[in-house]
Amino acid sequence: MKAFRFILALLLSTSFSSGAMAADVVKIAVTGPFSGGSAPMGVSMRDGVKLAVTQINQKGGINVGGKTMKIELIERDDEGKNDRGALIAQEISSMGDIAAVIGTVNTGIAVMGDKYYVEKGIVKIITPAAGSASMTQWCIAGATDLPIFRFAAHDGIQAQMVVEQATKMGCKNVAILHDATNYGVSGRDDLVKQIQKQGGRLKVVAIEKFAIGDKDMTGQLIKARAAGAQALLIWGIGPELAAVASGKQKLGFRVPMIGGWTLSMSNFIDTAGPSGNGALMPQTFIEDESIARARSFIQAYHKAYGVTRIPSPVSAAQGYDAALLLAEAIREAGSTRPSNVKASLDNLKVTVKGTITDWKKPWSKWDPSNVETHEAFRRTNTVMGKVQNGRVVLANPADRIVLEGKMLKN
Amino acid sequence: MNTEFLALAQMAVGGGLMGMAYALVAYGFQLTHAAGKAVNFGQGELVMLGAFAGLSLSTAALPYWVSVSGAMAVGAALGWFVERTAVRLALQQRNEGWILLTIIVGLFAVSAAENIWGREDKPFPTPWPEGALEFFGISVTWPELAIAAGALGIMTLVELAKRYTMAGIAVQAVSADQDAAELCGIRSRSAISLSWAISGMSAAFAGTIIAPVTTVGPTMAASLTLKAFSVAVVAGLDSSFGLLLAGIALGATENISGFLLGSGWREAPGLILLILALALRPQGLFGKKIIRKV
Amino acid sequence: MFAGVSLGMRERTAERIVRITVFVGLAALPALWQGQYALGLLTLMAVYGVLLIGLDTTVGYLGQVNLAQAALFALGAYGTALTVQAGATLPLALLAGIAAALVPGAALALPALRLEGPQFALSTLSFATLTIIVLNELESVTNGALGLSIVRPPLFMLRLNATSFYWLCLVALFVAWESSQILLKSRFGLAIEALRDSPTATDALGIGTLRHKVLAFAWGSALAGLAGGLHAMNFGYLQPAAFGYDLMVMLLLGVVFGGRRSQWGAFLGAAIVAMLPNLLSNHLLFSVLVSLGCILSFIPLIRAAISRRVPFFRETAPAAAMAIAAILAFFVPNMEEWRKGIFALFLFAVVVGFPNGIAGAMATRLYQLIRFAPLPLPPATGGVPSSRRSSGVALRLSDLCKSFGGVKAVEGVTLEIRQGETLGLIGPNGSGKTTLVNLISGLYAPDSGSVEIAGTQPARGSLMSACSAGSARTFQNLQPFYGLTALESIMICQQKREKSEAMGWLAAVGLEEKARIRCSEMSYGDLRFLEIARALATRPRLLMLDEPAAGMSKPDIFRLVDLIASIKQAKVPILLIEHHQDVVAELCDRVAVMDGGRLIALGTPHEIRRDPKVIEAYLGSDNTETFEQEAIPC
Repeated sequence: MKAFRFILALLLSTSFSSGAMAADVVKIAVTGPFSGGSAPMGVSMRDGVKLAVTQINQKGGINVGGKTMKIELIERDDEGKNDRGALIAQEISSMGDIAAVIGTVNTGIAVMGDKYYVEKGIVKIITPAAGSASMTQWCIAGATDLPIFRFAAHDGIQAQMVVEQATKMGCKNVAILHDATNYGVSGRDDLVKQIQKQGGRLKVVAIEKFAIGDKDMTGQLIKARAAGAQALLIWGIGPELAAVASGKQKLGFRVPMIGGWTLSMSNFIDTAGPSGNGALMPQTFIEDESIARARSFIQAYHKAYGVTRIPSPVSAAQGYDAALLLAEAIREAGSTRPSNVKASLDNLKVTVKGTITDWKKPWSKWDPSNVETHEAFRRTNTVMGKVQNGRVVLANPADRIVLEGKMLKN
Repeated sequence: MNTEFLALAQMAVGGGLMGMAYALVAYGFQLTHAAGKAVNFGQGELVMLGAFAGLSLSTAALPYWVSVSGAMAVGAALGWFVERTAVRLALQQRNEGWILLTIIVGLFAVSAAENIWGREDKPFPTPWPEGALEFFGISVTWPELAIAAGALGIMTLVELAKRYTMAGIAVQAVSADQDAAELCGIRSRSAISLSWAISGMSAAFAGTIIAPVTTVGPTMAASLTLKAFSVAVVAGLDSSFGLLLAGIALGATENISGFLLGSGWREAPGLILLILALALRPQGLFGKKIIRKV
Repeated sequence: MFAGVSLGMRERTAERIVRITVFVGLAALPALWQGQYALGLLTLMAVYGVLLIGLDTTVGYLGQVNLAQAALFALGAYGTALTVQAGATLPLALLAGIAAALVPGAALALPALRLEGPQFALSTLSFATLTIIVLNELESVTNGALGLSIVRPPLFMLRLNATSFYWLCLVALFVAWESSQILLKSRFGLAIEALRDSPTATDALGIGTLRHKVLAFAWGSALAGLAGGLHAMNFGYLQPAAFGYDLMVMLLLGVVFGGRRSQWGAFLGAAIVAMLPNLLSNHLLFSVLVSLGCILSFIPLIRAAISRRVPFFRETAPAAAMAIAAILAFFVPNMEEWRKGIFALFLFAVVVGFPNGIAGAMATRLYQLIRFAPLPLPPATGGVPSSRRSSGVALRLSDLCKSFGGVKAVEGVTLEIRQGETLGLIGPNGSGKTTLVNLISGLYAPDSGSVEIAGTQPARGSLMSACSAGSARTFQNLQPFYGLTALESIMICQQKREKSEAMGWLAAVGLEEKARIRCSEMSYGDLRFLEIARALATRPRLLMLDEPAAGMSKPDIFRLVDLIASIKQAKVPILLIEHHQDVVAELCDRVAVMDGGRLIALGTPHEIRRDPKVIEAYLGSDNTETFEQEAIPC
């Protein structure tokens, strides 16, 4: 009983002390799947955010209205489950002292949970979830004064680039392969839309689906081959993409694979091995230390987490830059009140030097008729990457200039 | 030969080979069910841990066969551990707590694997040559062949051991009638522990031979457990080689129906057949008819 | 030992008062514990409560591992969501949700009816997987993986905000709770529990398994549908993937965690699975819970150390699990990464430490502390009344055969029992006596030959049909309804549900004092008498007693002989299998002797005793002396 009282007293004292400190910190919540199937993306994103926060705190913190405050991160693992995600959104939005939220990998969670942030006006930066629905739902709902911002190359841009690439490579007939999740299905719809939008020069000869956990894709590939597909447009995540690549090799079906940014995930590249070579995907960031802008981030990440490869470099870099942008917005707002933070995110004054690019006013005031107002990425700051011998390299070396950040968005 | 038929044959062969993996995992269910009337719903996690153990050993530059044997030893220890911690007490109390306890042990195993080996799916190195073989226009990869050979090999070995070693005969006696076996001086507790250890060993072996096809990751065996459970129950929980037939049939059905109906529906016909098979033969397709005694 | 405080009220009344207090408290909670999060958790708890009360019907009361509940929940949610999109009002949408789960759920019960154990689990699992596939693939209806968004409809012009929706969910929980309690304590519910303990006995006593299984499943599905409907309106967004295996495991955990066969258990389980994983993401609370759990789990260990005994596994295992959890929580740098593992350790400790769940453990404690006023019992009426009137012979077997594989268990048996006659059936072990009774009572279908009970021919191999023809039996290996009390066991066997009549049957076998005792706590001899009372309660035209005296003490055997004599007095035809020859000699008008599946002799006890074929069957040839000594019970 004594031990119990001791522990209780200890806990109470710690809880009071953390309460006393609370006034001097900026609380930022990070949510995403930190366990389960999509954990590589969630963990990389979180670690990117953490890295930025550690660096800011080492410099003393953020100057908020004349007071220097440290950033405190609150992590919540949504396990990739919708209900958990929605409850976490409810929890964070009722905490009362959260300045902003960064995260979400699964589009379904954004659709289910973000309404709770909107109700309370809490700022959220969505990264790296790319599914269109997480922003377009607000256009459909006609929301005004939206506090939700996206910091990822959304599927609209990615689908556009994938279709452009297939056209450029001289393909006529393509097959679409996608996974059965929200991400895959909405990717499929975006691709079909883009093909029409770009004049229907491509003909979709097969649309095939695969489930999370499927390892044998020969059925889908045989059908695509029988239909005469000259390229596979593919939307899925690492392990299943790798299964497609090895299935292609097994069948001797040599057509290019072009797909979403997830083709750059290390669990695709490592697992697919040589069969993954040549896969093409839009990238906002490439883990290549020869790119000057990215070097320091990559090195710091490797050092901080004891790895030689980032599980999902895009997620990590976006998490890092999102945290930098948020910190700048809080500084400019001079307050941690969500409404002030939102207002300054709508109109960032200072250009933030990120590891992806120099961010100059990435968002503008929300307009429900134009989803781009709260989308940070444009076609222009996204490049095509290619898998080559276990690494992602630029598909078109001339694009290097984009990643060096010389070409800013207009 | 027309291409449609060839494609179907390709699907059937690929599915059947994967089905042998289901059968091998299902075999682990059967071993423990025979001895103690309980199965490990965390069997998939043992498969996963076995694969990770094999991976760790082979990254430590041990030869392939040594790492596979090492993984099997780890699997046997884990199987024993599951029986000791999650199953024994619940069976003594005659409640179904073991169903949940085995699931819970599995949950912990996933969390531990995530922290020890990372959340990433990793490739599993093998000594097999790259590329695919072709038989009559049907391509088969070396790791797939290894699954078939491995499943047949280990099942034959264990079945032989059950018939021709004292320990194996003791396990069979306990499966037939636990009380009677104890009266004959067989320690039924040890026999049950032994069968769990062997079940764990076969799960770990399954992990090492499936991993080259599926990759290694904390969630690699989540869907495998359910498939294997289906195979074990449909074949009948007392028929060893019936498992292979049921596994091959399920794997091939899935692949062919995915091909014909669209990939989203690939599991549906198999599931409907499964419910029908159970409704018609509750004891399983190859199981012995249960006579109710009062 | 402390005898416990006597509470001047019945258990059921006390439970109601506590429950209503809890509900009032829960309804008032939003006023004290503010914020959307609290409301979200409480709403989720109420929804899961409805769902788990439904799941407990199959998992707890029916005793089958049902893995379809998450899928039925999904069907309810989609049913509601689609009708809301079509513009239905809130009550209508909820009804649609219930229907959407009820119809497939009841349909699933049909093929699953013959199955038990792993086979039942697998058929429900297959159904669940199939459901998710259909929801995913029917994109034109369900919008597939993209998910379905809905807006919560008003309740009769009343816009529901988060708080009022929470109250609606509480009302639904209360209704589900109360109606489940009424249903499961009714004759129908008792039959479901009887069925779990012995489906053979329920069939043989004419209670029936089929409709009860379907009902249990249908009720569980209806509640899943209701919960699904509320869930859809709560979150306003549905995706098929959210209702998969993970959720199912969580729900099963909830039921076992809380405690099976108890609405309180389901409610506590719901509170735990809804709140715990979410609350545990709070660092401070997490540490408090881990430390508390650690201390609690070490108490039994310390107690064992004080009394100098080796602790049991059920004491060491939770302590070990909690110790690992504490180490992970306090000494590993990245505790957040281990959160799921620590949660699993928690679950392990609780499931091992409280095998009957939290509600079960609490109930045991409560019964030690409090004594409730007992249920009043009506005075016994009746006694051993005469059998239902019937014409012709009581039983006619003609040329009955049954073999198992190569073994001819019963071969060409032709036999008659007259009205009011008591026929003894004897024979060495394995001579086919019990198989014969199994054939007559419909447990086995004969290979050839026919059975006629009181002038009607029951359907082959149907216990129910044989029972409705008028047969009733007891079992050589006892088949008691462990979950029921003696009185309840009798009540479900009666045609009319009159307690006084049931008491009459208990009085007839001398068990009226033990009416309120659960079968699981009764002695072997008492259970044997109870089986006879059960059989009598069906008012049989033919009573078959399969070795009623086996294992009984001598005084009990005298009681038994008196009882059978009084049944005989009431002109009930009896088929009595017995090894105690003096019992047979005293009671039977005629005796039939079986050996190797054949009837070898038939006559009065006196004739049989002198029959050389019988003596040979029992003792081998030329050993006539010892037979009579052997026949005396030891």
